[in-house]
Amino acid sequence: MGALNALPLLAGGAGGSWAWLKLTDVSFFVWILPAVAAVALLVLMVVVAPTLRWRRWRYEIRTDEVDLQRGIVWVARTLVPLARIQHVDTRSGPLQRRFGLATVVFYTAAGANQIPELSAPVAAGVRDRIAALTKDGLDV
Amino acid sequence: MNSEMGSSGVDQANNSPLRLHPAAMLIGALRTVRRWVGALVIPGGAFLASQGFGIRTILLVVAGFIVVAALAAVWGFLAWRATTYMVSGGAFHLRRGVVQKSERTIPLDHVQSVDTVQGIIQRLFGVVEVRVETAGGGNEPDASLSAVSRDAAGTLRREIEGSRREPVGTEEVAGPDVVRKLTMRDLLVAGATSGQIGVALSLVAVVSQLFDEFFSRAFVERVVSSFAPRSVMAVLLFAVALGLFAWLLSIAGTVLAHAGFTLSRDGDYLYIRRGLLERREATIPLSRIQAVRIVEGALRQPFGLAALRVESAGYGENAGVSTVLFPLLPRREVENFLRAAAPEFAGEPSLERLPLRALRRYVFRAILSASPLVVVVAGVAVFGQYAGLPVPGCGGCGFGTVSLLAFEIPFGVFLAPLLLVPAAFHGWLQFRDAGWTLSGERLFARSRILARITTVAPRRRLQSRSVISSPFQRRLRLATLQARVASGGGGAEVQVVDLGSDAARSLVERLGPGYHVA
Repeated sequence: MGALNALPLLAGGAGGSWAWLKLTDVSFFVWILPAVAAVALLVLMVVVAPTLRWRRWRYEIRTDEVDLQRGIVWVARTLVPLARIQHVDTRSGPLQRRFGLATVVFYTAAGANQIPELSAPVAAGVRDRIAALTKDGLDV
Repeated sequence: MNSEMGSSGVDQANNSPLRLHPAAMLIGALRTVRRWVGALVIPGGAFLASQGFGIRTILLVVAGFIVVAALAAVWGFLAWRATTYMVSGGAFHLRRGVVQKSERTIPLDHVQSVDTVQGIIQRLFGVVEVRVETAGGGNEPDASLSAVSRDAAGTLRREIEGSRREPVGTEEVAGPDVVRKLTMRDLLVAGATSGQIGVALSLVAVVSQLFDEFFSRAFVERVVSSFAPRSVMAVLLFAVALGLFAWLLSIAGTVLAHAGFTLSRDGDYLYIRRGLLERREATIPLSRIQAVRIVEGALRQPFGLAALRVESAGYGENAGVSTVLFPLLPRREVENFLRAAAPEFAGEPSLERLPLRALRRYVFRAILSASPLVVVVAGVAVFGQYAGLPVPGCGGCGFGTVSLLAFEIPFGVFLAPLLLVPAAFHGWLQFRDAGWTLSGERLFARSRILARITTVAPRRRLQSRSVISSPFQRRLRLATLQARVASGGGGAEVQVVDLGSDAARSLVERLGPGYHVA
């Protein structure tokens, strides 16, 4: 997901550098800055942030609710009662499938919550477990 | 209907398709005419203007109009003939379509309510428009019958709702009890204090745009130059006049929508009747109400008034669209009102306040949101003089400039940061008004953006709860609690910003389904 934003970012950084070079008369170390900044940001987005985000994702399926915790800078802990879950999906995009990953999405009447980037069999297991637990007692 | 006929109350086996009332022909024809006239008015007007207003062109336009009306009448008849509805096999069926025929089937279980609306035409003929609303709004279709006699509407309602609740044993003598009715005076006060002036102003803007398009440049310029303000006084007067006009428009809008607002209750169902030209009758099953919001608007709170809204599951197509439960009533009467209308939401427990360390975050946020305005005002003060605006601080207007570091700074720039003072006060007000508690299995949360809103949501209605914290909040041991309830086709939030992190954690636990008060 971070990789998709890479192209416009690279283009922006390269374009900025090129424009600066062409339009002004500054030394090499100055006009190369936008490109360097873009590359650094890229590394941050593609490599560092997803790893940190993965490390900070926690989930627990208790007897009556699902406990999710995520976030590096903004930390959020969400609890979803099993009785409120209407249905559960597993979802995986082309890049995820390549690495054998999937996202579990469960829907309440107020919207969706998800557990991203689980290995495919684990995701399927989570989905089935939540589905089995929510089978009884559903009212809105 | 005989009450001994079993739990459904109505024999559904032998239903045959029913037609709409013939008034539907007229309604359909008028709708078609309106659509066509709307499309043709601009090219038609342009045509008229180019040809001059001679007799021949007027006759041509009239002839064209007659042709359109005749075609619309024929279409109205065909559409009426092609539309049938019936209730059978546990579902509501609607067949319609002249060229493209369609059949819509709605299982009775999915029907949330059967509402009736009366427009001017329906009132003329003594019929109603029936709207079958479904839950899960947006994805599932709704159905509407444009003209149905009152008896047929009553029968239809009984057939649809009879499958889900006990029918009324006797004939409709023991009808719903009126909980509250909006008086004419309160209606006008509601219109005057609704704060919807923004909508009205944008309407005025749209109208002026259209004005621009229709009349020639020279004409517009002549009008503008004769009315245009030439001094600061005139600009102010013009703005005040515009504001007054928009205010009157918003009053009119409120009157149109909420005239005669009556809330009644019959067992587990609330009935709302309202509207001036178009009478609407809506049903809200109590079991669908997820949260009640007591809204004390900025213009209403000083007078001790409030409005009530509900978040209702599946009511309405959009997410987070709340419905008006009652447009205006004194704040101190809200508890009695809710006890009569929706007792699960009644109660005025004392609320826990936010810790003092949250105050600076509230003030900071308020100042931050006011700062763009400050920048704009300062910018106008500095650069306005070049644009020819009558700005305090410009050369010939009597206000001086101040010399600072070899720059001539108009006096007005120093007035701009003064705007931050009311902003900071507003932030303090928001901090003071924030509160929460868990009482009697219900979450109470109060906050203020512009209006002070108290939200009541039963614990069992919460779809999820979250505790969110930014690094700044963590440093101050604060957090934000966010609970979600179902609303419209999606969700709505009940949140408390910047409460103590311990309180947030304990509250989140106590809101859980497994938590029982020992």
